[in-house]
Amino acid sequence: MKQKILHLLLYALGMLLICALLAWGKPPKIIGLFVVSGFAVGSLYALGGIGLVVLYRATGVLNFANGAVGAFGVMLAWQLGQMGWPGPLTWAVGILAATLLSLGYGLVIAPKLAWRDPVVKAVATLGFAIVTLGLTAFIWDDDVRRFSLPTDKQAVMVLGLRITVTRMIVISAAIAIVLGIWLFLSHTRIGLQMRALANNRDLSALIGVPILKVETIAWTISGLIAGFTGLMFGDLIRLEPTVITFMVIPSIAAAICGRLNNLGLVLAGGLFIGVVESLLTLSPLLKQVRPIAPFVIAAIALIWMQRGQKLVFSRDA
Amino acid sequence: MKITRSGYAGIAFTLVVFLLLPAVANGQWVKVFTSAACFTLVTAGIAFMYSRLGMVSLGQVALMGVGGWVMLRMNHGFDFPFEINLAIAATVTMLFGWILALPALKMRGLYLALITLMAAGGIEVVLSTYRFPNGGSGFWGVLPSVAAPFRRPVIAESDSAYLQYVIVVVAIGFALIDLHRRAAPGRAWAMIRRSEAAALASGINVVYYKAWAFGLSGLLAGLGGALLAGSLGLLDSATFRASESIMLFALAVVGGSRYWLGAVIAGLLYRVLPALFNDWGWDADLTLVIFGVALLHAIITAPEGISGQIIALLSRKKRDTT
Amino acid sequence: MKINNNKIYGYLLAIGTVMGANLAQADVSCGQNTGKAASGDAIKVGGIHGNAAPGDFSAATDAAAAYFNCVNANGGIHGRPIEYLVENDQWNPELAAQVASKLVEDEGVVAMVGNGSFVEMSVNAPQYARNNIMSMAGACAASECFESSNIVSTNQGPLASSIGAAMYAVEELGATNIACIGLAIPSVGNWSCGAVERYMTSKNLQGSSVLLNPTAPDVNSGLLEAVASGADSILINLPAGLAIAFLNSAQEQDFGDVYSWTSSTPLYDASVPGALDEYWTDKVFVNAELTTLDGQGPDNQNWLAVMDAFANPEDPRDTFSQSGYLSARFFVDTLQAMPADKIDDRNAVTAAIKDIKGYRSDLICGAYYVGEAKRHMPNHAGIMVVLKDDGFEKVRDCYEYESPYFAELIETEKSLKLR
Repeated sequence: MKQKILHLLLYALGMLLICALLAWGKPPKIIGLFVVSGFAVGSLYALGGIGLVVLYRATGVLNFANGAVGAFGVMLAWQLGQMGWPGPLTWAVGILAATLLSLGYGLVIAPKLAWRDPVVKAVATLGFAIVTLGLTAFIWDDDVRRFSLPTDKQAVMVLGLRITVTRMIVISAAIAIVLGIWLFLSHTRIGLQMRALANNRDLSALIGVPILKVETIAWTISGLIAGFTGLMFGDLIRLEPTVITFMVIPSIAAAICGRLNNLGLVLAGGLFIGVVESLLTLSPLLKQVRPIAPFVIAAIALIWMQRGQKLVFSRDA
Repeated sequence: MKITRSGYAGIAFTLVVFLLLPAVANGQWVKVFTSAACFTLVTAGIAFMYSRLGMVSLGQVALMGVGGWVMLRMNHGFDFPFEINLAIAATVTMLFGWILALPALKMRGLYLALITLMAAGGIEVVLSTYRFPNGGSGFWGVLPSVAAPFRRPVIAESDSAYLQYVIVVVAIGFALIDLHRRAAPGRAWAMIRRSEAAALASGINVVYYKAWAFGLSGLLAGLGGALLAGSLGLLDSATFRASESIMLFALAVVGGSRYWLGAVIAGLLYRVLPALFNDWGWDADLTLVIFGVALLHAIITAPEGISGQIIALLSRKKRDTT
Repeated sequence: MKINNNKIYGYLLAIGTVMGANLAQADVSCGQNTGKAASGDAIKVGGIHGNAAPGDFSAATDAAAAYFNCVNANGGIHGRPIEYLVENDQWNPELAAQVASKLVEDEGVVAMVGNGSFVEMSVNAPQYARNNIMSMAGACAASECFESSNIVSTNQGPLASSIGAAMYAVEELGATNIACIGLAIPSVGNWSCGAVERYMTSKNLQGSSVLLNPTAPDVNSGLLEAVASGADSILINLPAGLAIAFLNSAQEQDFGDVYSWTSSTPLYDASVPGALDEYWTDKVFVNAELTTLDGQGPDNQNWLAVMDAFANPEDPRDTFSQSGYLSARFFVDTLQAMPADKIDDRNAVTAAIKDIKGYRSDLICGAYYVGEAKRHMPNHAGIMVVLKDDGFEKVRDCYEYESPYFAELIETEKSLKLR
């Protein structure tokens, strides 16, 4: 717990420090704009990262295909919308499709790799990701499209920047998921089993944790999150399957900031990355390489986490 | 020094492709095989780290981009011959790999993989913003019109001679790995692979020897990138995306990381197969699907990789006949 | 109807229906117009496009293929058919070099026609020069394509088109400070937005560039950067997908009336009005490099007729398609004018293409010429359209762009007596 608080404090401090460094001498109104815009982007990274960590904790699979199944879901939702289906139904079908894809992989392919290296498991999901991406790109030929939600039209002013309700949904969803999962893990039996599985797979199997059931639930939850994230990426970033699929790489950066197991830190890390990336625009030297922010921050976070230790991630050894 | 059976097979294979490929391949396929050979060299580095030390790098293609960048920078900035530029590119990439890896070497498994992936992501952003030097002025050396000429090795000006040149360098790369394996670093690696604690207890400097391995495979990646630059005379950042680094690691696993044949198979799968599909006019998206399915299939059914299956098959035959 | 699945083509559909009724195959005009199929040995011609995620640039080769089919059905060239070999570079530079080797070295094509890619031209320009082969491209998007001795494109590319848009913003929309939003790629965004800045300086006005990294998911910061530059007009010079993301972001901030909005050609695409909110109707002014897609000139009508008769129904009918058609038509005209025994000789074909001076068509505003030069950009005059609910409307007819960049081209044109 102490460690956690220390980390949160450090993120907050680091955020303030870098903000101050980047924003030095700029008018406060402009800084406000960039910070708010950074929160908006950062919440997307955080959402992607949360989806990854929920699954990784329970199953040991870092799912590179999260972006791809989300992309399929949002393309399907768009298609149904074009065919005149009512909005809420298309969103539900989109999220459901992503969930089923994710669950399908989790039940059919993932068990065959259960005893392999975590890295090989992760790389196998890349195979699934490119199958999904290939099919999605084949079905929906390259064209300009737009996926929008009714909440795009309503907005509130925050520090001089208009923030649409969709963006507020993203950030509140991220917070709600973090809280919800925390409650789920600490107050339900399945949550307890999930934590046991995350701690030691072999031992949990020995003492009779129903691995299949727990993993099915984990894949379902992460599929739901991936589908929802896909809809949000499609609305707020671009409705292009390739772009959404490879959003998984900066999302991994956010996940790393929470050392792949702490959802609160993933959220904080994602927001931090977003704000830094946005504030880099103020630096004439660095603004062209802004998107490097997630990778640099994740690398620093990794190095920070392993300071003074010989073998940091014994779970993984 | 004793040459193993696998070593003889490797030498024979090198001779065959050296003589045969340039003779049978036309303009298009000479280029395809040159690319495949460059990536084979990089895969050799990935595979040896993975099989000898259990270290996973998801950033080798990005390091290859660094090697290619240095190669083009040297070519357009100075008048040195190709070989000197090649040596400098490989050395700089090795140092670059070290700087990236040193703080990461205490990590293991997935976390080492992730930090190399983050490095690959960062390199992708830098390369896609500043591009590769093509004869312009200044540090980044980019000019908006057609690239200035690239100087190939004096003995390998034509495409097919260049392919032979690349094959020789790849063979040297494999030999280099094998030499290391038989010397002190190889013994240390074997110990570390078995148990890091035991290695530490017997006085082996674990981080030092891990860094050595990372440096060697960085050197091979740098060589591969520099040779690729020589194939086209220029490079594009799209070749070195972070996703390509993950892909090449996946193919190293599919090919089988324990044998030299595995790296060759990975190079062929990575460059020859897509070229074949394209030649047959298959939709690029469907090619992606086939590739993904093949990848999953190979990872699931062949833990030792395709080369492992081939070698098991060969040795069983041998047992049957004797 | 062949194109009725494309709902945006409301008015095109009407024309198409009329043509479907009136224009039998005989009414298309291709090559010799004999109505008899060509026979004999084929003349090999190559084409390379990029088609993979994230973009499809195959429209130009599709249109060139349709025109060549039409020529083959109408007497061919000196009675011989054209064999058009099209390859896909999949946006992969190595693949681009490989397929170029296949076409140029292994197949021995006499010329490249209708090429469309971001990647292919920069990779292969040296190879084309070495092999003395000309590429009459259709869809160029990067500087290398225009600054090479052996490539000439019918389209304008981002530099000319952005200057055209900037001129309209200054002359008609009263812009005094333009922020040009481009891709942070030296041969694309830096090159074209830099030219816009120089144009603004030459008019004693202000200009700045905002360059977006193509790997960045976030366009908001770019928008804010443009706002912080103090601009009163924003010029979008991005691929269509990114441009739409940018406009969505601007709509989120309700900037539609705060700035004047112009764009280079990529937004002049039939699917764009459907992908943009009605919010942008009458607000976004787009430069078009060739004539409008529904242009009533005979050559444009012939393009549509050729596409209906010889292309797949799902092939796009867009600017790149027009420009691929035009490249193919000029190529056929050039070969037709050569002696029959020379059309298999690559050097002779290259010389004949370089000798083109002053082909005209209602698809382009100026004359098409090639010449022996380090740079080729024959097309540097265009039109402006404004975004409507379900399409576009022409707001300014052919006008020539002004920029120091074109000085050399104008000298050439004077020496060829094209002015």
